[in-house]
Amino acid sequence: MITQEQYRTRVKELLSSGTVKMVIGYKPGSTPDRRRPLFIRTAEEANRLVLDSACITNLSGYLVTEGLLSDEKKVAIFLRPEGIRSINILAAESQLNADQIIILGFDSTGSVVKTLDGTHAGDFSELLGSIKQNSPVKPSEVLFEQVEQMTPAERFAFWQEEFSRCIKCYACRQACPMCYCRRCIVDSNQPQWVNTSSHTLGNFEWNIVRAFHLAGRCVECGNCGRACPVNIPLRLINRRMAQEVIEAFDHFPGLNQTQEPVLASFKKDDSETFIL
Amino acid sequence: MAKIGVFICHCGENIGAKVDCSRLAEALGEHPGVAVSVEYKYFCSDPGQESVKKAIRDNNLTGVVVAACSPRMHEATFRKACAEAGLNPYQCEIANIREQCSWVHTDKDMATEKAMDITRSMVEKVKRNNNLQPIEVPVTRRALVIGGGIAGIQAALDIANAGQEVVLVEREPSLGGHMAQLSETFPTLDCSQCIMTPRMVEAAQHPNIRLLTYAEIESVDGYIGNFKVKVRMKSRCVDMNSCTGCGDCITKCPLKKIPSEFDCGLGKRTAIYTPFAQSVPNKPVIDKANCIYFKNGKCKICTKSCQFNSINFEMQDEFIELEIGAIVVATGFQVQNNAQYGEYGYGKYPDVINGLQFERLASASGPTAGKILRPSDGKEPQTVVFIQCAGSRDPSKGVRYCSKICCMYTAKHAMLYAHKVHDGKTHIFYMDIRAAGKGYDEFSRRAIEEDEASYVRGRVSKVWQENGKLMVRGVDTLLGKPVEIAADMVVLATTMIPQPDAKEFAKTIGIGYDEYGFYNEAHLKLRPVESSTAGIFLAGACQSPKDIPDSVAQASASASKVLALFSKDKLEREPVIAINNEATCAGCWGCVLACPYNAIEKKDILDRSGRLIKRVAFVNPGLCQGCGTCVTFCRSNSIDLAGFTEKQIFAEVMGL
Ligand SMILES: Cc1cc2nc3c(=O)[nH]c(=O)nc-3n(C[C@H](O)[C@H](O)[C@H](O)COP(=O)(O)OP(=O)(O)OC[C@H]3O[C@@H](n4cnc5c(N)ncnc54)[C@H](O)[C@@H]3O)c2cc1C
Ligand code: SF4
Ligand code: SF4
Ligand code: SF4
Ligand code: SF4
Repeated sequence: MITQEQYRTRVKELLSSGTVKMVIGYKPGSTPDRRRPLFIRTAEEANRLVLDSACITNLSGYLVTEGLLSDEKKVAIFLRPEGIRSINILAAESQLNADQIIILGFDSTGSVVKTLDGTHAGDFSELLGSIKQNSPVKPSEVLFEQVEQMTPAERFAFWQEEFSRCIKCYACRQACPMCYCRRCIVDSNQPQWVNTSSHTLGNFEWNIVRAFHLAGRCVECGNCGRACPVNIPLRLINRRMAQEVIEAFDHFPGLNQTQEPVLASFKKDDSETFIL
Repeated sequence: MAKIGVFICHCGENIGAKVDCSRLAEALGEHPGVAVSVEYKYFCSDPGQESVKKAIRDNNLTGVVVAACSPRMHEATFRKACAEAGLNPYQCEIANIREQCSWVHTDKDMATEKAMDITRSMVEKVKRNNNLQPIEVPVTRRALVIGGGIAGIQAALDIANAGQEVVLVEREPSLGGHMAQLSETFPTLDCSQCIMTPRMVEAAQHPNIRLLTYAEIESVDGYIGNFKVKVRMKSRCVDMNSCTGCGDCITKCPLKKIPSEFDCGLGKRTAIYTPFAQSVPNKPVIDKANCIYFKNGKCKICTKSCQFNSINFEMQDEFIELEIGAIVVATGFQVQNNAQYGEYGYGKYPDVINGLQFERLASASGPTAGKILRPSDGKEPQTVVFIQCAGSRDPSKGVRYCSKICCMYTAKHAMLYAHKVHDGKTHIFYMDIRAAGKGYDEFSRRAIEEDEASYVRGRVSKVWQENGKLMVRGVDTLLGKPVEIAADMVVLATTMIPQPDAKEFAKTIGIGYDEYGFYNEAHLKLRPVESSTAGIFLAGACQSPKDIPDSVAQASASASKVLALFSKDKLEREPVIAINNEATCAGCWGCVLACPYNAIEKKDILDRSGRLIKRVAFVNPGLCQGCGTCVTFCRSNSIDLAGFTEKQIFAEVMGL
């Protein structure tokens, strides 16, 4: 647990010196393998922090909670590489100023946690670049391959079945750091584009809209899937969209703060294969 | 309460034959909110329009749906009629039951059902239409002409002679384009240079024309009446002001063997050069790719020879920003490289040349001073074989289209050759002779009857070298026999194709192109000189293969379009623009980036004490073109398009 101790010391320094006004990290959760977010403002609280391989939630979404960064003070936050990518995207989409974010980077293999060198998003560009080289980020899984092999009709039936459980709680949206809009399209009812009722049409509408809004922005942190109370395998959709975007535009989201949003930018050499 | 009038047009038989208009009128009459539902043979006719106006007045209609042809045809017609009857014109919509229904269906019952759906859906939209007012935008009265070939020069002169300002941009060191390379021109055989060079000089000296040669368009922003254009002035390394064009530098340059582009590789030039003797402007440029100094830092012999100190090796590219009201694109063509036809031996045998090279051989200003001498040994060829359609009308290896001018220039070449080599023999392999045009058929008949060109109808399968001759094997399809001709020279009538960078360039300036890269007109028949981008017009061979008369005619037509635009102080624009909801905007700037017209700005929302609350997107109504790109991009659904609001579209969809 050397890393946890190192980081607690770092956090104490950061808070007692006044470098940051808040640290966002993890504390124990309701079961031994769950962790909850922890927000601390004083050095004394640092000992409540835990850091181990069970710390998997991408905490970056808390940074864009209304007003947190508006006083231009700094905030430190524990992040895995996916979380650092989220910071880059949020900065590229003008939702935060990355200079205000002190990153306490970590990653884990098995139960071993290691620290990542660097304090600001820009310091991790080499690491993120190497992740792009090795993308897909996560090792492929059996279910994903199975869905890929299905005929369109089978795949439709598969998702219809999966989505039939969706209760439109929008927990997936709340959990996603990229879903920061003040008013989400599903909350707009003049007109009501996305049907709120829990039937095939409404369920497809919501989940397809979600997939498109995250295309080229999702970092596959898995927050959405873990938040889903009915265990819809949202990661399969995220993975598929990530693949589409990298194949069509060679775009790997979150590499740096100047990356243009892929679906809002045009390049002369963009492939036109999708234009009918 | 909504009182909608539905006017169902038969369009003669066009709609009437496939859609039961009486049934349609009856069904729509029962639709909620519809006050009047009538049919008529031709609503676009004068009595038709009058009946619409009368119905509006008599029934106090709040909205009108004309179920007829495409809105591209008559939306403007009916909106005007509505305005005349006192209704806001944007309360009128067209339900397209012709192109999208009667023309594409055969079953009358089903077509009628579909027409009902289409019309109902439009009624639902119109119920939610708002009164809109047109937007006025100023017009910058300055035209940009891109390309200084005959088409560009003609357009520039016409606009300038009408008293308007023109900027003429040519990327080569001199004006002229391909016409300057031609020897004599069909169908009159006047000398190309003699009719071209005075035009070039006139353009260069015209007080209303600003000529920028050796210049390229970097970017085009803005919209009709208000373009912002950035031009790169490539560094010539020669100061245009002090250089007198004496040419001392050219004589002294030690590099004398660079193949001349102007002479299609048949002649040579130096590294500091003008493309040809009559260049306009007649001031040299340094070819940096070949110049010894640029290669290894030594030489500068030209600098020493220049009495005016005009040569400056440090010169950098410069950028000029222009405010422009209208653009004429006249970027011309290139000839296809025939090396891809291995069987003709182009590129392998020096005496197999293309048509443009023949022009240079026949031209008095060319490398042989107008004598027809073959490239390999400089001897006068006694037998010349011409191969037409070398690349044209050949879906397998070349292009599918007819290059249009090659039949004519081949006949011309045969004549020019006969006039210069009196005992020479010509054989022309052809597929058809396409000589439509004033004086054209007479011209090609003359080649056959007076100048004894022997036309062989058939294709050539192979050209090879044997005993110092070029053996041409082909077939005479009229006799049904193979033929073999021993020739001294072979001339390929090479296809005109788009400029190598045509597609890229189209993207830079924002116009459409076809599968080959020729620029698309807005309507092939009715709007042949307008591109689909408002304020950008087309002239010459950049649109399709053209000869000089066609290029000039189109250039003058473009000029008249530009002048019509410049005849007004202000342009009236459709009020179809985007509006952003500042309360819901998340400030992600996706729309700012996505907008192809740079119409969206970032706006600060401040509280009373001037503190920044948040930043949101703001659509500049003067710049927005109403394309809707931002609407589709915005994830928070904050942007709406006037005339196509989400409510309207939703109602339209739900009405189906
Ligand atoms: C072998 C041959 C023989 C012919 N003989 C005849 C004949 O006898 N009679 C006849 O009527 N027609 C003849 N033609 C056709 C004639 O050459 C064309 O009709 C005419 O040249 C078309 O003029 P243009 O201005 O459209 O294009 P071009 O002459 O190609 O001029 C285009 C100009 O635009 C410039 N340009 C291109 N891109 C850019 C850019 N991005 N920015 C700035 N400048 C640019 C080019 O450098 C060039 O100067 C012949 C053609 C060929 C190939
Ligand atoms: S969509 Fe899911 S996996 Fe992707 S960034 Fe959002 S929460 Fe993470
Ligand atoms: S979290 Fe799951 S159930 Fe809730 S809206 Fe998202 S997909 Fe549906
Ligand atoms: S895309 Fe939408 S949310 Fe983003 S800045 Fe534009 S209007 Fe605002
Ligand atoms: S509709 Fe939107 S994207 Fe299109 S021009 Fe207007 S602001 Fe730009």
